Amino acid sequence: MVWIHAYGREIFSALKSSFQKCGGHANLHRWTNSIPPVMHKLSASQVAQIPIRHIQLFCVALPAPCSYSSSLKYASRILSRQTNCRHTLWQRQSAYKGLVLSSTKAFSTSHWLSAAQRNDLKSSNKTGLIYIIAIFIFMLGGAYAGVPLYKVFCQATGRGGQAVKGHDTSKIETMEKVERPIVVRFNADVASSMRWNFKPLQTEVTVYPGETALAFYTAKNPTDKPIIGISTYNILPYEAGQYFNKIQCFCFEEQRLNPHEQVDMPVFFYIDPEFDEDPYLQNVDSITLSYTFFEALDGLQLPLPGYHQPHNTPVVAAS
Amino acid sequence: MSSLSTFSSKPNAKPPQKGSFPLDHDGECRDFMVRYMRCLMVNKKDTTQCRQESKDYLSCRMERNLMSREDWKKLGFHDEGGQTSEEA
Repeated sequence: MVWIHAYGREIFSALKSSFQKCGGHANLHRWTNSIPPVMHKLSASQVAQIPIRHIQLFCVALPAPCSYSSSLKYASRILSRQTNCRHTLWQRQSAYKGLVLSSTKAFSTSHWLSAAQRNDLKSSNKTGLIYIIAIFIFMLGGAYAGVPLYKVFCQATGRGGQAVKGHDTSKIETMEKVERPIVVRFNADVASSMRWNFKPLQTEVTVYPGETALAFYTAKNPTDKPIIGISTYNILPYEAGQYFNKIQCFCFEEQRLNPHEQVDMPVFFYIDPEFDEDPYLQNVDSITLSYTFFEALDGLQLPLPGYHQPHNTPVVAAS
Repeated sequence: MSSLSTFSSKPNAKPPQKGSFPLDHDGECRDFMVRYMRCLMVNKKDTTQCRQESKDYLSCRMERNLMSREDWKKLGFHDEGGQTSEEA
């Protein structure tokens, strides 16, 4: 629509409303073809019946710089000669045509952008839009790429737990003993409904980071029924937990004790030599390893979290 | 399990590397265990002095199929010659 200007809309609606008064005229096809597209909203008969006084209004209402001043002058000359509604068709046509043309030109040049400017604006809008779409696609791609990238990052830096595979087994062979004695205290607990007697066989041991050590717990089933237990453990202080590696123990697996049976449960562990380099653990010289036994329900399959990997245990003859 | 801090990177309780020891129901390696505990008591609970006894206990376990066989190097026993065996 060429006449976006509110001023033009006003005029346009005024012209339209004037048609209700005059009748229709059918013979205007040739002329209407040359009207700008917006004016096609008016039918041919409607255009022919615009009363002169409205065209006069229209002429007056045009903004000041009119580029088609000649056509405007021509139109006003015609209009000034007429005073009533019954005008000749040809005169009315030309007047109106001139006015429409001049007004559209006027609006397009003074109140609207020139074609070149419009093109520039369009192209700069287009480039801006392309930039925004590109940023959006980049963000979306970054979100998808983040998953494998994070895996690579974890494997490189060793953070995030499970991402580092196969790193620990070779470490035992190459690690060096650090001359920093750490006292490991042992604690044993059972769940309140668990009827085993569970205690450590030593209250504490002194170990050095980088050296493997062995410790023992003992558990006795004083009841007359076999009880299956499953244990978990805690390390205090919390930050020391990441350096405490167990080579083999009795945790996270169901252990069955027959009635009145007592067994020794060893824990074979070592403290990572990097323990010595952790600033948070500078003043720590004592760690507490605390085991808790719970009763395992028969046939209950717990979905253990991802770190419970299958391992190789030798076949033991059932006792 | 333990109290996890807000931004904990590694889980505090990790599974054992070689899994779980099968239970020594028959007490086959109890003697070695007792010897180890005595050594600890004598040496004021210093595990460095008792490495030979712990090695004995582990080899007892390996012999009686209560533990998978491993090179001593892989278990952290470097200087001793001892019994090396292939992995199960």
